[in-house]
Amino acid sequence: MECVVQGIIETQHVEALEILLLGLCGVHRVRLRVHELCLKSGPNLGSEASEVRLLCDLEQPEPTWTVRHVGGSMRGAGADQISVLVRTMVESKVSKNVLRLFYLLGYKLDHELLRVGFAFHFQRSAQITVTVSSVNKMLKLHATDEAVPVTPGIQLVEVTAPASAENYNEVAAAVSSFCEYLAPLLHLSKPGVSTGVVPTAAAAAASLMSYGGTTIM
Amino acid sequence: MDGPLGVGQSQPQQQQQQQQQQQQQPEQPPPAKVVERLNPAVQQQLNLESVKTRAISLFKAISRILEDFDLIARTNSVPKWQDVLGQFSMVNLELYNIVEDIKKVSKAFVVHPKNVNAENAAILPVMISSKLLPEIEADDNSKREQLLYAMQNLSVPSQIEKLKARIDMIGAACESAEKVIADTRKTYFGTRQGPTNILTLDKAQAAKIQEQENLLRHAVNHGQGLRIPMDQRQITSALPAHLVDVLPVGDSVQTISESSGMYLKNTPPMSSNAVNNQGTLLQASGGQLVGRPAASPSGATGASSFDNTTTSPLPYANSPRSATNMMNTPSPQQQTQQQHQQQQHQQQRQRLMQLPQHQQQILAQQLRQSPMTGLGQNQLSQLHDLQGQAQQKYQLHGQNQMQFSQSLGAQQFQGRQLPSGAIQHGIAQSQLNQGNQLTRHLNQMSSTANSALFNAAQATPNNQMISNMTAMMPSQSLLPRMQFGLSGANRTLGSQNLNDQVFNMGAANPTTMLPIQQQQQQQQQQGGFGNMQQNTQNLQPGMVPMQQNPQQNHNNFQQHRQNQQ
Repeated sequence: MECVVQGIIETQHVEALEILLLGLCGVHRVRLRVHELCLKSGPNLGSEASEVRLLCDLEQPEPTWTVRHVGGSMRGAGADQISVLVRTMVESKVSKNVLRLFYLLGYKLDHELLRVGFAFHFQRSAQITVTVSSVNKMLKLHATDEAVPVTPGIQLVEVTAPASAENYNEVAAAVSSFCEYLAPLLHLSKPGVSTGVVPTAAAAAASLMSYGGTTIM
Repeated sequence: MDGPLGVGQSQPQQQQQQQQQQQQQPEQPPPAKVVERLNPAVQQQLNLESVKTRAISLFKAISRILEDFDLIARTNSVPKWQDVLGQFSMVNLELYNIVEDIKKVSKAFVVHPKNVNAENAAILPVMISSKLLPEIEADDNSKREQLLYAMQNLSVPSQIEKLKARIDMIGAACESAEKVIADTRKTYFGTRQGPTNILTLDKAQAAKIQEQENLLRHAVNHGQGLRIPMDQRQITSALPAHLVDVLPVGDSVQTISESSGMYLKNTPPMSSNAVNNQGTLLQASGGQLVGRPAASPSGATGASSFDNTTTSPLPYANSPRSATNMMNTPSPQQQTQQQHQQQQHQQQRQRLMQLPQHQQQILAQQLRQSPMTGLGQNQLSQLHDLQGQAQQKYQLHGQNQMQFSQSLGAQQFQGRQLPSGAIQHGIAQSQLNQGNQLTRHLNQMSSTANSALFNAAQATPNNQMISNMTAMMPSQSLLPRMQFGLSGANRTLGSQNLNDQVFNMGAANPTTMLPIQQQQQQQQQQGGFGNMQQNTQNLQPGMVPMQQNPQQNHNNFQQHRQNQQ
């Protein structure tokens, strides 16, 4: 299971956000360059098409592959009260033959995208990961070098934290309290709920940037 | 209220909160029992008791806040700024109100110190004196001088007038300033909120941002806007490094919609394959299936015998035929077209298709393109020619080029009739991207053999389905090499297979290369055999014209093969 929220930020404020995150998280950022292939199962695998995502981390010297299945999200009155989305998710590292394996199983490529950005992984009563990335699409199949951003002026911010059925409440609380710190720059919400930009973003970004290049840490 | 008028007390400044003005109970007049009361008028204006109560409560509030701060400072915790600001605003407002009230009646009261002790004895006289401090006094005098100097000439009344005017102006300015301050203070503290953000994006901008946001969110969560239409889903540019050895070369993207297409496409070629089952390499009708050469049992796989030198890298590293190239040798053409998956489909299809020989065209189709029809025949002739050539990697493009090694060739060609498709003899495994072609070859082989081969081929995962042309060979020769695309490893096509004589169905042999279908359909057919692996000697000229089997494929294959190898 995981708790996840998403938000958007204008590209011009990304640097300020990075400074803020650096101060809040206390860890250095890691670069992110992930080729995500979304595969859908064919009709031979059941009446309901299932979706599986293959993530290839291109930032490592040796590309590493991960397979990820995202399930349905929690619903109900309780879920409505939680400000983060809690959903089932299964993830595993796999070898590079995974793509072929899925093709052999009958899965077909539905779409692919490339995320380029950075991420912060830290512990704050839960293992939280914040990724800020520009989502790029490939006009030609698998042409990751020629990817163009889907929305050039806006980047996606995602805050996720793995959770289990027992502790998802605490994890959700940790994630939402962390998100409050980002309030001056962006609003975060459940995926699917749009937020718009925050009016204070420009001012907050300016003040963050004005603190200069002092490296925190 | 009792007590003398104006009883009050001012605390010396040591108290930081100046606002603490406590009004204490008026003392009892010592001897007199006269209890004086406040002038009723004043009392109406200001309820002294209440003022006192308010002042006391304010004092308490402030001291509480101070304590909190103290605690925070001691524990080094972070104050909740929201709350702090709220409390401050409350206190501030309260003070303001008290002061306002008192101002109204301050004239009626006199404040004098009550508590004189060592601490404040020294400073009290200064505090209650009305005389200005010396420096202030001097300053004052000089300013007065300045002011009046300008008007010395005028008569006194006019001077007075001027001064009055000036005073009025200043007064007005002060008032407006105060008004502004008071208003801001009221709104600021009255609403207990932080500075309100007056920034608002104008509507157009907000709408644009909203639209972009939706685009982005839908793209990330649902993939909207990222799907490439089917017809554009071909790998036209070089694959990035992380996909190069992962995707079978020439794999067409398996898109959801395509699968159906694949089957459809295959059908035509199938017919041509009729050649017996041998591996009808399904030349996949066009489509992606290309290459799935259904196990071309026939000789194509014979590839096993091929020497593995095929240059073209097999798409699948582990496919038996891969990498070995078929180049020389006898082996039947392997077409390695990878696409295992497709191959399998194709195999199925091909089964159906085992049609008579003329089907070579089927090969052609493979990719819908094709003209192969003629090929079949050409092939035949070429086959003969080919015989001589031993290794060549056949590329099954459409029709396999048969390259058999001499030995094989002979046998293989016997049948020449190679059904249309079948021709491609084991084109070298490699590269066979050729898409469909391969399967045909299988057909050519004698039926039994073919069927055997074909079946075998079917079983094996593509890659190696080389369209064994050899298989096609009618009868006799059933080239032993059946190399079906069996299990991987680079095939050993080589001699052993030849010896086998039997189409090995199975596993052992190097896989037959079936025309591997490439993803790019287009490529498949094109090409002509000419490109076949560089090393192999291309089949004869005759071959070349064969449908274009995508030479490109070969190239790709080769490259890939090499990589894989």
